[in-house]
Amino acid sequence: MGVPLYLEPRLTPRLTSLLRSGRFLHALVGGLGSPLNVVLPDQIADNLTHFRDVYRTHRLSGQVFFAHKANRSSALVRRLAATDAGLDAASLGELQHALGAGFTPDRIMATGPKDPEFLWLAARTGVLVHVDGQAELDELAALVRQYGLPPAGVLLRLSGFASEGTRLLTRPSRFGTPAGELGGLLTTLERYPDELRLAGVGYHLDTTSLAEKAVALEGCVRAMDECRGRGLNPRIIDIGGGFGVSYLADGEQWERYTTELTRAVMGRRPALTWRRHGYGLWHEAGTLRGSLALYPAHRPVAAEKYLDALLTQPAPALGTRLATLLLEGLCDLYVEPGRALADQCGLTLARVLEVRRTGAGERVVRLAANATDVALEEHGVLMDPVVVPADGRRAPAAGGPVGVHLAGNLCLEADMITRRTVFLPYPPCPGDLLAFANTAGYCMDFRAGEAQRQPVARKAAVWQDGRDGARERRDGRERQDGQDDGHGEVPWRWCLDEEYWPVAQQAHHPRHHGTPAGGGA
Amino acid sequence: MRLDSITDAIGDTPLVRVDPAVHGLRHIDLYAKLEMLNPFGSVKDRAAWHMVRPGLTAAADGHRTVVELSSGNTAKALSLLAGLYGVPFKTVTNRIRVPEMRDLLLLLGAEVEELPGQTECLDPTSTDDPLTLFHQELTGSADGYVYTDQYYNARNTEAHAAGTGPEIVADLDGRAPDHFVACVGTAGSSSGVARVLREHDPGVHVLGLVAHKADFIPGIRTIDEVQGVGLFDPATYDTIETVTADEAIEGMVTLARRCGMPAGPTGGAAYTGAVRHLRTLDAELTERRTAVFIVCDRIESYLSYVRQRRPDLLGRPAHRNSLATLTEAEAAAATGIGTEDAERWIAQDEPLVVDLRSPFSYAALHIDGSVNIVDELFAELLQGGLPFSKSRPVLLACPVGEQSARYAALLTRMGHPDVRSLAGGIIAWRDAGAPLVRE
Ligand SMILES: Cc1ncc(COP(=O)(O)O)c(C=O)c1O
Repeated sequence: MGVPLYLEPRLTPRLTSLLRSGRFLHALVGGLGSPLNVVLPDQIADNLTHFRDVYRTHRLSGQVFFAHKANRSSALVRRLAATDAGLDAASLGELQHALGAGFTPDRIMATGPKDPEFLWLAARTGVLVHVDGQAELDELAALVRQYGLPPAGVLLRLSGFASEGTRLLTRPSRFGTPAGELGGLLTTLERYPDELRLAGVGYHLDTTSLAEKAVALEGCVRAMDECRGRGLNPRIIDIGGGFGVSYLADGEQWERYTTELTRAVMGRRPALTWRRHGYGLWHEAGTLRGSLALYPAHRPVAAEKYLDALLTQPAPALGTRLATLLLEGLCDLYVEPGRALADQCGLTLARVLEVRRTGAGERVVRLAANATDVALEEHGVLMDPVVVPADGRRAPAAGGPVGVHLAGNLCLEADMITRRTVFLPYPPCPGDLLAFANTAGYCMDFRAGEAQRQPVARKAAVWQDGRDGARERRDGRERQDGQDDGHGEVPWRWCLDEEYWPVAQQAHHPRHHGTPAGGGA
Repeated sequence: MRLDSITDAIGDTPLVRVDPAVHGLRHIDLYAKLEMLNPFGSVKDRAAWHMVRPGLTAAADGHRTVVELSSGNTAKALSLLAGLYGVPFKTVTNRIRVPEMRDLLLLLGAEVEELPGQTECLDPTSTDDPLTLFHQELTGSADGYVYTDQYYNARNTEAHAAGTGPEIVADLDGRAPDHFVACVGTAGSSSGVARVLREHDPGVHVLGLVAHKADFIPGIRTIDEVQGVGLFDPATYDTIETVTADEAIEGMVTLARRCGMPAGPTGGAAYTGAVRHLRTLDAELTERRTAVFIVCDRIESYLSYVRQRRPDLLGRPAHRNSLATLTEAEAAAATGIGTEDAERWIAQDEPLVVDLRSPFSYAALHIDGSVNIVDELFAELLQGGLPFSKSRPVLLACPVGEQSARYAALLTRMGHPDVRSLAGGIIAWRDAGAPLVRE
């Protein structure tokens, strides 16, 4: 087999510490069932401060809105409510959830396609509305007028920004209004001086390309100028989300893996996937065709670093650094990170039910979870799960590494947790847990369903007393955690996600569940 | 030399020996095939001309556009060739990563389309891969285009089998070199030359160089990307090795500073890759051998590529009156003035108000009566001395009051008696409700 093609997940000290607490995790799954989602609310508060740091270095003011759609968790949202973050709600349910979690309307923005109820509650509570176009402006104004609501603040979502010189192509988007049609939107706004108030303009582009985003951001600066030219006084530029996450610890592993995958598709080495799946690549007359449909799993520049890189880019036409352009233009910068704020904020646990060999000799590990519970494949994210051996069992010295296929609990050929051959340091046994790290952004509950009446994963929030983000930062360094399960660790505590409130972090709160018997400490 | 057409100047490039004192190989004569001396500046001139030639006259008559997927030298050569026949040229590329090349292509009259990046919210079932769409468009309206298709077009390889390869053999007195080294982009030059050399001597060793995966070397591919090249056949190469961008730049610097060859990064990569590979063989050799590598293009287009990776190679000393020379203490001692006091001061003493922001931002909103001297320009002005009279007080303004404080300190050091910086900048001014105008 040669060197095992590991794709080891990137882990913050906090997740590493949790993964070392094997007894705690087994007790949780024992009590709450498999699959189980675990969220770490303190991590999201830390991630927020990293974004704030970028604002600070560029002297920019503005707000960071968590794109709620990335995770349904109450704990994450309530933890953020206890910070100064904002929240981007993309449905009526999300807006209600945010309000109920303690977000005041001045910290919420309504985005995405909106039904009348969503729009009404947004206007009623005074939430900023990121409008998609002409029709939504009319609808919102009509609601405000009909129900005698206070004027609604609106951001205009633009798209299709033109570039100068070379033509930068962008994928067509279903959302937003072409930047060239801003004039029409402003005319509409001018018709509703008592109903609508222009707060700014924005975009969200589904691309990893900084160059495309630089064109869009400069386009927004020009749009602001057009607004001011018409006597309006907007202050906000909202650049949406899409800041990315780096899932893998080691870029070399990613390079080695993708090279070997390419060779496998070319037939120059044994297959690396279930049924020779090519992840978008195929082989035709000695030449590789197609393109790799995988999330770029190792990204040296992701999350707040990506924001920093964008702000440091020169504006494509004006040449001034984008951060400077925002600052000089007296603009507030809004961002809506979902995946990037949820980075390292959760993991999904699944119990191993069976390990067996197929007729072809492949080793198949069947889990008490299915592909919708761990939707890595859906997002093209490749990472190895971490084996958390059953209580008392130690990682065996012999027997590893092995290549296995991970199958789900549905009676469906296609229900593979991943179509990749996953290499594990040693063979898992029934009763072990596989921990899929970093699933809080879209991979945990976005797709989960109740097919075949299999249980949907429950969700638990976990934290360590005295290890909230603020305290850690004051120490100026992360704690070094003990090597062994339970030794030298600050004990992990937990409660059901829906029972988590920021105050529950204080010890001896009557509603929190403390540590399960034998766990943690 | 008198020629009827610039295209007659393509090919017949010199083979130049590299001084052994520079490369240090004791038994191997190392030669550079200077493809950078082609008229449009690169090895691609040959392939471009050979590929596009059959379609050009028809294109000129039929109002067709020449198209190619290239962000570099092929696009450059095709622009010039198309221009020669009055035919439009369009190139479609994944992001041009060398800014000079973008501007150069525009200057040469090319239309440049850059493909969108990968989606952030990946949809594995998506069918709108931009390259596939591009090919669909081309095949959908074949009449409108002459598509040179450099990654699949056999005429790319032929250009080198007919020209580059035989020239090398002729210059080595009818013998093939023992080693041939080339970077692999479309694989056209390496395959074409290798074919001819092997016909002369089946024993010739061919070393193909690709970029290290995490790196970017303009013009060549990584070990994975090369699999998607139609002309690439692994059997062409006895050995395939990788080079890093750092090695490419190192080689480029050696060729330029020691050998009088202003080569681009792939020339540098070929040089470094050749010497690295040959060094181990050299130690065991007793008789003489020859090796040839290709210098694909020139150094001039890669200044920002170098600036990004090795700014030290372009280092310049700081100027006397520059912000960089300001000490922390000097900067901290600058006189600041808050919005309210500033408004009063402007009304009373009429200081010169200098807004250091960019013209675009200044035009949008500014303090009434202020002049706009953008930061960089101001820095340049100060290198020559004080740009205004000492008798007039000066108020400097920038977005948050940081740059203006530093400039105020510098002007004070340069002898101006009354320079103040707007504390908190234009943003604090706006937040205090003080007036801004748009004229
Ligand atoms: C600068 C430069 N070097 C090297 C090459 C490699 O040449 P070939 O396409 O023949 O492999 C290219 C071609 O893309 C190039 O533009």
